[in-house]
Amino acid sequence: MFMGTVACLFALLLGCARSGSESATIDAAKLKAYAPLPEVASAKEAVGERKVTLGRILYYDPRLSKSQKISCNSCHALTQYGVDNQATSNGHKGQKGDRNSPTVYNASLHFVQFWDGRAKNVEEQAKGPVLNPVEMAMTSEKQVITVLKSMPEYVDAFKKAFPDGRDPVTYDNMGKAIGAFERNLITPSRWDKFLKGDQAALTAEEKAGFNTFVASGCQTCHAGSLLGGNMYQKIGIVKPWPDTSDPGRFKVTNSEGDRFMFKVPSLRNIEKTGPYFHSGKIATLKEAIAKMADHQVGKTLSDAGIQSMETWMKSLTGEIPTDYIKQPELPKSTRKTPKPNEAD
Amino acid sequence: MVKKVLKYGMGVLSVALIVAQFIQPERTNSPADLAASFDAVAKPPREVAAVVARACRDCHSNQTEWPWYSRVAPVSWLVASDVKQGRAKLNFSQWNIYSPEMTRIKLGEMCGEVTKGDMPPLYYLPMHPVARVTPREVSAICSVPVAQAR
Ligand code: HEC
Ligand code: HEC
Ligand code: HEC
Repeated sequence: MFMGTVACLFALLLGCARSGSESATIDAAKLKAYAPLPEVASAKEAVGERKVTLGRILYYDPRLSKSQKISCNSCHALTQYGVDNQATSNGHKGQKGDRNSPTVYNASLHFVQFWDGRAKNVEEQAKGPVLNPVEMAMTSEKQVITVLKSMPEYVDAFKKAFPDGRDPVTYDNMGKAIGAFERNLITPSRWDKFLKGDQAALTAEEKAGFNTFVASGCQTCHAGSLLGGNMYQKIGIVKPWPDTSDPGRFKVTNSEGDRFMFKVPSLRNIEKTGPYFHSGKIATLKEAIAKMADHQVGKTLSDAGIQSMETWMKSLTGEIPTDYIKQPELPKSTRKTPKPNEAD
Repeated sequence: MVKKVLKYGMGVLSVALIVAQFIQPERTNSPADLAASFDAVAKPPREVAAVVARACRDCHSNQTEWPWYSRVAPVSWLVASDVKQGRAKLNFSQWNIYSPEMTRIKLGEMCGEVTKGDMPPLYYLPMHPVARVTPREVSAICSVPVAQAR
């Protein structure tokens, strides 16, 4: 390298401006780093139907929160692609968290959970928000168990879902059941059809958009079956990110190398899950694409390039599994069920 | 007259070049976190570790060896930009950021680049002849077992 000037000449000679006009077919070599989503059916079998049924109820139950007003679905609305479309969410008594709510769709396939990877899977993750003081704000695991045990229908459902244990109503099992439900929140799209060989599943414009995406260097971090969700990377790796208030994974590891490292988000359903980035401060997908090009690869994209990529990204929008996410009837409260508390 | 302009021009140019030397790009060689490195995390076969150290490390790790001419502007700017781009694409000092799926993808890309002869870049070789990758080494890179690599 180190002969920079020669490098420039070479670049010119080879016409190595790798971007340029993108054709409407996709070279198979570029697809090596991509894969379709796994089949939903196989995931379903692995987790067990009864756990899923229980998990669905827990997911929708606001009585897992102190105010009895907030459920997982408040911030991750399943009919809304698993998000609330807010920059940051309203939690207990309207408190705002400091990060944007990511989608729960396909989240179980991420290599770690949360923007900073502090939970290893969805089962472990689900135990976080219930006790988080700015989210659902329950004060202890015991308090949660008291609520659940006050309703015989819950006790029964836990017994069915976890037939081996003597006392199945535990906080861990709550996490496992919610996780089981989340493991089937998978949204295959036309992109998967295309990857499985159906050339007609994408339009010529969408194919050209993918080529622009690759030519712009985005595949360095957004690859695999989720187009993300499988590595950490520093935000602002090529050009510093202006907002440095959130140190990212550094908070978890205290290691200097992890400062401003975040999990690279999946681009599945990206059109529907704005606003963008960990702060939720970027409102539109076009802006997000331009920011990425500028700060992660050091390129300024043309409006046409941005438009083209956005067109392709819309093909990543999958189908919401309407039947699977239907809100179930919740167990009835009894006299023993604690009353909501919004006082503190 | 022509002479005068030339003289003046040379003067301006040398001043500009001298001033340029003071605009030094950031040349981080951050304390390489050994536990996070390709060698520690992927435990590659010895031959692969050796070729990476010899032929890739200058641009794809935090352990760049900066040669003298990399300190002279404007070459310094170009070199720094290359290293920055290279590290952003692949950093052997930070192999702990990848999931197993991404590890497989990155190994695939490494195999692809050395097979095509695109890496290390041609312009690097005249000054670093030892960075040439042999066909044997190419096949070693292409057959790093993924299970082992993470
Ligand atoms: C008050 C809003 C709120 C509530 C209620 C809430 N979440 Fe979240 N959720 C968030 C935010 C914000 C994050 C990101 C936090 C972070 O990364 O630090 C998140 C992260 C997640 C993630 C990680 C996704 C990823 O891409 O890493 C999952 C899965 C998840 N929540 C599931 C749940 C479940 C299950 C519940 C109910 C038990 C729940 N959430 C309740 C706001 C909420
Ligand atoms: C060097 C790694 C890297 C590269 C290259 C990269 N990204 Fe990203 N991308 C990230 C990270 C990390 C985030 C999360 C940043 C944050 O919020 O802290 C992200 C976030 C995004 C988001 C927002 C996702 C969300 O849910 O909020 C979009 C959209 C996106 N990238 C698109 C692109 C596009 C388009 C390109 C190419 C121009 C690109 N990325 C290149 C690492 C990268
Ligand atoms: C002289 C500096 C230099 C050396 C030495 C070098 N690279 Fe690179 N490498 C780069 C740069 C710069 C890029 C980014 C190129 C681009 O964006 O087009 C890159 C990109 C890559 C990529 C990503 C390609 C892509 O399409 O995203 C891989 C993989 C790679 N290099 C592997 C290697 C391997 C393996 C070696 C050693 C055998 C090596 N490189 C040696 C500078 C170097």
